[in-house]
Amino acid sequence: MTTTPPSTHGLARPEQVRRRDVVRTLVGVSALNELQYRVNFFLQLFQSLVALATAIAVVALVFLYTPTLGGWEPWELMVVVGVHTALGGVIRSVIQPSMQLLMEDIREGKLDFALTKPVDAQLLVSLRRITVWPLVDVVVGFGVVVVASTRIDSATVPGALLALVAVLLGAVMIYCLWLVITTGAFWIVRMEHVAELFNGLYQAGRWPIGLFPGWLRLLFTVLVPLALAVTLPSEALTGRAGLLAVGGATLFTAALVAFTRWFWRLGVKSYAGASA
Amino acid sequence: MDVTGLGKTYKVPVREAGLKAALKSLVRREHREVHAVSDLSFSIERGEMVGFLGPNGAGKTTTLKMLSGLLHPSSGQARVLGYEPYRRDRNFLAQITLVMGNRNQLQWDLPVVDSFEMNRAIFGIARPDFEATRDELIDLLEIGHLVTKPVRNLSLGERMKAEICGSLLHRPQVLFLDEPTIGLDVTMQKRIRTFLAEYNARYGATVMLTSHYMADVTALCKRVIVIHHGKLLYDGPLSELAERFETSKTIGVTLAEPDRDLSGYGEVVAVDGARVTLRVSRAEASTVAARLLADLQPTDLTIEDPPIDDVIERVFATPDEPGSAQPTGKQRG
Repeated sequence: MTTTPPSTHGLARPEQVRRRDVVRTLVGVSALNELQYRVNFFLQLFQSLVALATAIAVVALVFLYTPTLGGWEPWELMVVVGVHTALGGVIRSVIQPSMQLLMEDIREGKLDFALTKPVDAQLLVSLRRITVWPLVDVVVGFGVVVVASTRIDSATVPGALLALVAVLLGAVMIYCLWLVITTGAFWIVRMEHVAELFNGLYQAGRWPIGLFPGWLRLLFTVLVPLALAVTLPSEALTGRAGLLAVGGATLFTAALVAFTRWFWRLGVKSYAGASA
Repeated sequence: MDVTGLGKTYKVPVREAGLKAALKSLVRREHREVHAVSDLSFSIERGEMVGFLGPNGAGKTTTLKMLSGLLHPSSGQARVLGYEPYRRDRNFLAQITLVMGNRNQLQWDLPVVDSFEMNRAIFGIARPDFEATRDELIDLLEIGHLVTKPVRNLSLGERMKAEICGSLLHRPQVLFLDEPTIGLDVTMQKRIRTFLAEYNARYGATVMLTSHYMADVTALCKRVIVIHHGKLLYDGPLSELAERFETSKTIGVTLAEPDRDLSGYGEVVAVDGARVTLRVSRAEASTVAARLLADLQPTDLTIEDPPIDDVIERVFATPDEPGSAQPTGKQRG
């Protein structure tokens, strides 16, 4: 039996173009809508500044008693604070909202609609909800990193470029982590508290990973690559990590992406097999 | 659309009530197989509108999910537009739509038009085509004033119309509609019905419709497929459903002189002044009618099948024994 080619109406454009269009439309639509709520911008700015002030106060407090912390000097630690703030903004703006929506949809059986669309379901569920205002944190965090690095002798331009790559890797790692956890909702129904658990863990990323005891370091690097996501960019910028470390992180991220994809597909398969 | 021996079996954990059983199930979980759908076969021609009937839990939604690619059949085979649905081929998905009356797929916080825009991107519809179809559908459904509102501000009926509009922007060839009018008032049901008939006529789309409102089915579908306990019970014209399952007919007589006892002719169902409604067995209907005409010289007499709702009720009351199911073999296409 022959298959019926699609009508000329749908899928009028090649896969690649469509995929890009989907990303652009999803991002554009959510962003434009949220931009209407200007008051949220001021709330977020206020929140970001308070969070930043708290972080600085903690760092200042620590350095009242010691000149360096595990080899990190005050301005170097501020780089960690900046990266942590910026990545936190990316998480709360781009990653977490869609993942929470996905969790709800899996629980309520509404994922059906994402699975009956002629586009990659992972792409669709990962970009469905974007909140723009937490991006203020990205700007604030980036500002902190810039200010701090002008006061660090070891900061170089190649180091900064490596740090940029590491930040991107970090964002991808955290996305994967979130998707893996969320995919767990296919089997475990009650996953609502995962966001709080994650945010709690993310707080640990405020400190350079080297400060933790060995077993925690391992946990935060391999199992929950949170600290790795924050520390590596800071290490790259302050000349502690070089090309080799960032290369290693690239491989690790690639493996994580592949695993996440596999795990997601497994989840979808089990969803299709079990839902009534 | 061809379905042969389609079946879906779920494996569900079972345990008895009580703490002891709960603890036991933690260690060793027992499973029971539930045959949601078994050995279902039918085929539907392109452009046909078919009513898919069955009581709650009959396996309607499971079947629709298998046909739209959401569920992997446990046995048998389904082919829709030449594709095997569970493979979820993009070319297949671009030509179908699944609408579920109790779930919404538009973005809750966004204006309706933005959700439409997302569908445009997802289905890769060329801009001019998209705009033409969108405006046409908005016009047909009369939702022009609603589309700029966020979905959460719409009433149930308005939302359903917006849902249907959004699901048809890519002009699907096959529509799976699961209770599209559930919870809507009569006017709204009617409007959606008219729209579906119009869409079917305009684009020659195949429609498979489940509904608890028989009015939807009688208005739209000449043919019905009835399933019960996951098995095919009837497949054929809606008009013959009564013949197969209904053992009685309804005779309405308007008497020249009221207040006469007609219980001797059949079961008196209703008396409204001079108008009496009787239920008699199918086989005797014409004899009883002749006797009534001869004995009473009524001013009016009608013989009808009982209301379709009653017929359906009777169909579903059919006991679940293999021998009692009467698949007709009346499969077309």
